[in-house]
Amino acid sequence: MRTRCLRLLTYAFVATGLSACASTSLSDSQATSELENSAPFASTYQTPSSPPTIIRGATILVGNGERSDNTDLVFEQGKIVALGDNLKVPAGAVELNGKGYWLTPGIIDVHSHMGVYPNPSISSHADGNEIVSPTTAKVWAEHSVWPQDPNFEKALAGGVTTAQILPGSANLFGGRGVVLKNVPSITVMGMKFPDAPHSLKMACGENPKRVYGEKGGPGTRMGNMAGYRAAWISAAEYHKKWTEYEKAVASGDKSAEAPSRDLEMETLRGVLKGEIKVHNHCYRADEMANMIELSKEFGYQITAFHHAVEAYKVAPLLAKNDICAVVWADWWGFKQEAFDMVRENAALIELAKGCAIIHSDDEIQIQRLPQEVGKAMAAANRMGMQLTPAQAITWITSNAAKSLGLSDRIGTLAKGMNADVVLWNGNPMSVYTKAEKVWIDGALMFDRSNPEKNHTSDFNLGIISPEGDRP
Amino acid sequence: MTNLLKTTLFVALLSLVSMANAADILIKNARIVDGQLRDANQLSDILIKGSMVVGLGTGLSTPANGRVIDAQGRPVSAGLFNADTQLGVREVGSVADTVDSSTSNEHITASLQISDAYNPSSVAVAYNRSLGLTHSLIQPSNGAGIFAGKASVVRLSDTGAILVDTAAMVVSLGEAGSDLAGGSRAAAMAMLREALEDARDYSKNRESFARGSRRDYSLSRHDLEALVPVIMRQLPLLVRVERASDIERVLDFAEQQKITLILSGVGEGWRVADKIAKAKVPVIFDPINNLPASYETLGMRADNAKILHEAGVKIMFTGMGWQNTHNAYLVRQSAGNAVANGLPYHVAMQAITSNPAQIFGLPGYGEIKVGAEASLVLWSGDPLEVMSNPDLVLIDGKEYSLESRATRLRDRYYSRLTSD
Repeated sequence: MRTRCLRLLTYAFVATGLSACASTSLSDSQATSELENSAPFASTYQTPSSPPTIIRGATILVGNGERSDNTDLVFEQGKIVALGDNLKVPAGAVELNGKGYWLTPGIIDVHSHMGVYPNPSISSHADGNEIVSPTTAKVWAEHSVWPQDPNFEKALAGGVTTAQILPGSANLFGGRGVVLKNVPSITVMGMKFPDAPHSLKMACGENPKRVYGEKGGPGTRMGNMAGYRAAWISAAEYHKKWTEYEKAVASGDKSAEAPSRDLEMETLRGVLKGEIKVHNHCYRADEMANMIELSKEFGYQITAFHHAVEAYKVAPLLAKNDICAVVWADWWGFKQEAFDMVRENAALIELAKGCAIIHSDDEIQIQRLPQEVGKAMAAANRMGMQLTPAQAITWITSNAAKSLGLSDRIGTLAKGMNADVVLWNGNPMSVYTKAEKVWIDGALMFDRSNPEKNHTSDFNLGIISPEGDRP
Repeated sequence: MTNLLKTTLFVALLSLVSMANAADILIKNARIVDGQLRDANQLSDILIKGSMVVGLGTGLSTPANGRVIDAQGRPVSAGLFNADTQLGVREVGSVADTVDSSTSNEHITASLQISDAYNPSSVAVAYNRSLGLTHSLIQPSNGAGIFAGKASVVRLSDTGAILVDTAAMVVSLGEAGSDLAGGSRAAAMAMLREALEDARDYSKNRESFARGSRRDYSLSRHDLEALVPVIMRQLPLLVRVERASDIERVLDFAEQQKITLILSGVGEGWRVADKIAKAKVPVIFDPINNLPASYETLGMRADNAKILHEAGVKIMFTGMGWQNTHNAYLVRQSAGNAVANGLPYHVAMQAITSNPAQIFGLPGYGEIKVGAEASLVLWSGDPLEVMSNPDLVLIDGKEYSLESRATRLRDRYYSRLTSD
């Protein structure tokens, strides 16, 4: 029941704007009729059955900043059961010797375009940017995801178990992002992380003004700001109308008429209600500060700034406002707003007690996110900071989970958490290290030693030669 | 001519001055990592006088006025070489005024000389140098035709940066060639064939061309002149090509035309590795690529480098990924990943140092040996490991700062964060 309730809470606003869980006075019959279609495109993912597993004596980066050497890990029925010394082998368990191996939580990439910009990257597949209007909060990235994108399985081989798929950054409001489990599925619903909140992709700076500068605007950064504000003004009115209607229904007013639905406004209302998390593409420090002011003007929380190349310049401001900074280890120079990159960005955010996250935004780097973390960590240590792999791995585990609203399920190897686990053949941040085995919810999804059993996309079959799969 | 002489003299004087000022350096107890198969436990001293390595061995005596750096077992490699960048010709990717890598001018294709645009003061040059990159092949990109222009070898020094003005003629075939040639890869081949025929005809008939009594050619006079060294086999044709069948086709073509090739891209190179090896054609690619980004790279795989090497192909690397200019130094991350996927370590080092030195004719660079140019890097750890960083960067004996605009920004904000 709790699950169902959570799901309704997540999706209620989608169909009717009703929040079933919050409105306890709503009668069952009303709830049924109003909410019949309230969770469209819901996850159909089922935790696969799998044997209990014990991994003995590995070096464990827990994901919460701690490290535990020569330690056993047990998981069963999809959940972490225990972490400790000389743990008992559960009945029927698969037992693995982890000596010389490292364990981390499943890697989380909070900024991916897998499925919406899949490979081959042909125009037939380019479904990540709805470049028809600067304001398209109505579109959902999941409706563009092609589950056969051969990138997914390569990311899995790099230990990525969860990815947030976002629309592109051409628009001020790019649309809704979706959190996927990196599992093979014919439908996107089969990949959707159950009960994960949606996100709203917003974009600052050069991209929207470049795309729309000669198409009616915005053509400037001040135009961008005016565009956001106009949309939030409409959203606030919409929110008010629907809230009044809901109150009327809840108080038994049978004559109350439902306002008409508007997909654009539903997404923005979800943000105003705190149900949709804002993930905001924003490079420059001054623009991040403007976006924070904007969020205060309209009363919503920004969850994370992405591609936050200049986050180090406003790290205390971000920390104070509980906003994560999602950054690359070292990308720069492709745009003016990406000119002030420092390799120590993530570490300086950490130093200011902020929430640092490393993302890929890239199908090559998603295959080796721990290397990206390793570079950022090493750069910081070179300047005299003393970051450890245990601390730095939080940039792609627990901090990432926090920004997705999934801290209670993924991102750390603690008792009761989902058994998303990666076994590495060494320090995961080394260029020479590879993921040996990857489990999602306790099920072995990738095994380097057993390539025949690893999933390969439909796209790969017979495409190089009739008998062979694409490697 | 007078101006040119003056410039040359000036440069020569400058380099004399800098040589005289450069202190001798003795690096003690270094682990030399230069693409040769060496004993990993063997430590060596390296003595540098002026611009050259003059001594190599154990227990070398300290020079009179020199510096001594104890490497304590840290590795020293040749400065790194990235074989496909736009360093110095692309400052900010989206700012057109700062990007000189291509032109839409249809009269300038093969004749685009990329070294004409090279800026040694680029922020990206200093940044990559501070992180261990000392040399690069600067490749133009395609504008109006299948020929992108003439690639140049530079070293990332303040002066004397252009080492090889014209190192290769760059042409695109395959899907990019098809786009440039009107929608068919076969049309791109036809354009290439026609251009080389025209260059041959032109080279034998310059006078009648000047009189206006020769037939029309497919390219401008300067473009044809630029192609003459290719047909004379004095300049390699660097062909960007990915698909196995396109590679085979261009290998056959080069044999018929008696031209020298370098292949770049070669996503499906592993499928025709033996043929590339037999033709003795070197290749440039980013070994980290393993995805079917296009239909011509369906076969892209992580062990392409291993397979090509095992077949006997000489390899050079670029990377990492699309950040191969601003983060050109990360070619070492691409190389490290190639090792993780089966390429022998010393071959990966060759691919980013000595192989390009041999292929582009840089006799002093690429190996650590007596008589070599002192363009080398002392690393905090394994140069192919992503967590290593340079501790010392020398180009031609001159020590370069490990600071960059990025570290200046870092320091400014670090001090604000820590003083609050």
